[in-house]
Amino acid sequence: MAASKTGSGTLQLSAVLDLNEASVLHGKLTSMRGSDIVIDASAVERVGAQCAQVLVAGKRAWDEDQKSFLVEKASDAFEKTMQLIGIDTNNLVAKEL
Amino acid sequence: MDMNEIKEIFFQECEEQLAELESGLLKLNDGDRDPETVNAVFRAVHSIKGGAGAFGLDDLVAFAHVFETTLDCVRSNKLEPNHDVLKVMLKSADVLADLVSASRDGGSVDESRTRGLVKELEALAKGELPAGGHEAPKAAPAAPAPKAEAPAPTDDSGFQPIPFTFEGFGDDEEPAIEGATYEITFKPRRELYAKGNEAALLLRDLSRLGEMSINCDMEALPALDKMDPEASYFAWKISLKTTKSEDDIRAVFEFAEWDCELEVKVAEENTSDEELPMTPVPFDLSILDDSAAPAEEEKAAAPAEDPAANAVAAAETATGVAKAVARAAERKEAAAPATPAAAAAAAPQTIRVDLDRVDRLINLVGELVINQAMLSQSVIENDNTGTSSINMGLEELQQLTREIQDSVMAIRAQPVKPVFQRMSRIVREVADMVGKQIRLVTEGENTEVDKTVIDKLAEPLTHMIRNAVDHGIESPEKREAAGKNPEGTIKLSAKHRSGRILIELQDDGAGINRERVRQKAIDNDLIAADANLSDDEIDNLIFMPGFSTADKISDISGRGVGMDVVKRSIQALGGRISISSRPGFGSTFTMSLPLTLAVLDGMVVTVAGQTLVVPLTAIVETLQPETSAIHSFGATQRLISIRNSFCPLVDVGRVLNYRATQANPVEGVALLVESEGGGQRALMVDAIQGQRQVVIKSLEANYTNVPGIAAATILGDGRVALILDVDAVVAASRGQSLKPEMSFAATG
Repeated sequence: MAASKTGSGTLQLSAVLDLNEASVLHGKLTSMRGSDIVIDASAVERVGAQCAQVLVAGKRAWDEDQKSFLVEKASDAFEKTMQLIGIDTNNLVAKEL
Repeated sequence: MDMNEIKEIFFQECEEQLAELESGLLKLNDGDRDPETVNAVFRAVHSIKGGAGAFGLDDLVAFAHVFETTLDCVRSNKLEPNHDVLKVMLKSADVLADLVSASRDGGSVDESRTRGLVKELEALAKGELPAGGHEAPKAAPAAPAPKAEAPAPTDDSGFQPIPFTFEGFGDDEEPAIEGATYEITFKPRRELYAKGNEAALLLRDLSRLGEMSINCDMEALPALDKMDPEASYFAWKISLKTTKSEDDIRAVFEFAEWDCELEVKVAEENTSDEELPMTPVPFDLSILDDSAAPAEEEKAAAPAEDPAANAVAAAETATGVAKAVARAAERKEAAAPATPAAAAAAAPQTIRVDLDRVDRLINLVGELVINQAMLSQSVIENDNTGTSSINMGLEELQQLTREIQDSVMAIRAQPVKPVFQRMSRIVREVADMVGKQIRLVTEGENTEVDKTVIDKLAEPLTHMIRNAVDHGIESPEKREAAGKNPEGTIKLSAKHRSGRILIELQDDGAGINRERVRQKAIDNDLIAADANLSDDEIDNLIFMPGFSTADKISDISGRGVGMDVVKRSIQALGGRISISSRPGFGSTFTMSLPLTLAVLDGMVVTVAGQTLVVPLTAIVETLQPETSAIHSFGATQRLISIRNSFCPLVDVGRVLNYRATQANPVEGVALLVESEGGGQRALMVDAIQGQRQVVIKSLEANYTNVPGIAAATILGDGRVALILDVDAVVAASRGQSLKPEMSFAATG
């Protein structure tokens, strides 16, 4: 994939992060491991719980790798849905709301 | 396309899904453990549920839902589909079919049976083994079962709570639940997502019921490289302060409750706000709403109940779910070619065509065949050399026409599978009624035959299957005593043989009790007491009108409407039926039917200057009588001796009143035919013109019923030829007058 081991990559999230997208997103994230990543969630219109799971697992994997995993330019829908399902979009951890 | 048409399509699809469901269950019953089979069964029920939901067929949805949940346990390997489990499932498939019929045609279904099955299915889903006997169905709600009404104490009396809503009493007048705080635990399973539900949407709907705080439990989430992106790991603990009842909360999860762990309870009274770990914070959900934003604002301003807003929300959820289901289906389709098994199971593309259109096409092709034959004939008549290019072109045209005809007929051809599947239900139900264990084995279900034949085949076949279950197969005790497997087997098979379809119904029961059949025939004056009959002849007595050997008249068979009706139905289809039986080993009924009722292979004959067509299926042999073989019998009857036996001669010209006196048999040809009673007759005709496949034209539809004539056809020279009704002519020769036949309605 595009991301190199040393550089950093940007992952543009799809507009609809539903069941169908979970595997795709998982695949993309897995292929980008080992380097810093910036998640661009500006185009997101809908988020399903399974994609949220993938993102949280991704964040944990990057933490483990001691690489940066940053959610940037989150759309309102992304923020609100993550909040609704109890996830803090900044750190992608459970957040009591 | 209006709503009714869409609904009609839904019901048509239901029929297909039900067939799919049943065949899948039967495959599983036979030990098939292919995941694709389980998936196909699951999909069938799921599709019916989905469509039924869209049309608001609540009973159907509720039952399909319970059924689907149990099937899901099979799919996820939590439930082993053994025979006991499949017995419940096959019964459920029957009930589902009944519910579909009731939704389509009105009428009702046996509610106690439905409730009983719901209970059994739920027990299976919970991992309880199916009960051996039929328990009296207790009040088992098909809808999501509320644990207990809001603040009510836990019911420990052992009774299952009955769902009870206060709708219509007015929620506003329920001060007791005003502001109640519920603690909700929601842990979706993978299936919830797979079925197109979305936890986030459910949580959104939940949040609309009041003030909600949420805690996402991520403990189960594995590492990125270990996780299955489509599995479910998150669970939620929710605190909801609402004026709504527990039922309302559960209603949010209505279509997902079976696919998640859901707990709804009222928060402890003594839990003070300080101790409550989560402080309810109202969400600003406007962004998540596509259209209902104003409704939300209204709601916030006036907490009073607004059913309209609720309906909007419900509709939105439904749309969302429907879309998601569609997406999941698309995805499945897209994924299908990936695995060979899935690809093999993928149905070929089909279109739905109104049967009338097909019939019109068939009719037109029939005309084309006739026209082409006429054209050929006139060319032949005007071309003495037989070498002209027109002649050669015509031959090609003839071949093409024949191919077109075959292809068009193939459109009407349908596999016998649906009829066979109906039989498996009859076997189940009748076997249950009479307390026998019977397995139906089907073979060659994909053998194709004309739709008209299929439609008319169901009734006689049903009758025969009932007979086989009721009389053919012995009780389990008797079977064991005879050293047989207590479970009887009925085998139903179909195959093509020399341009006809051969259907065999074989049971491994006791076989025909010839002594009793013979006695019964004597008692009923069907045969003389001293008649000397071969085993075959005795067996065939059961086809005599009014014959029934059942000792007691049961609900299932033995009402005196017996195998004679079956035989007549089969004969009305241009078919034949015979029986062979071995005492102690069972009986086999063999039916041979034409593949289509639109064309017929016939022998074209001349009788008193008229051209007639005799169906080839009826003809056993043709012979040229010699004077020495003709014997007079009584005043008008004549017999012909064929290989040391005598056969009555029937002058077709005389019976049809073409001539006033009988023709000289020696000058004509005798067609040996087998008639209804099983006996043979020699039909006298003047000459044989040849054999031909003819297009059948109904006389009833185009003219009127003519006694002794089955139908008409148009020959190559453009003349109309009548197709002989052999049985009617034979019956007339026995002294019965030629009267329009009653339609054969096999009942009982």
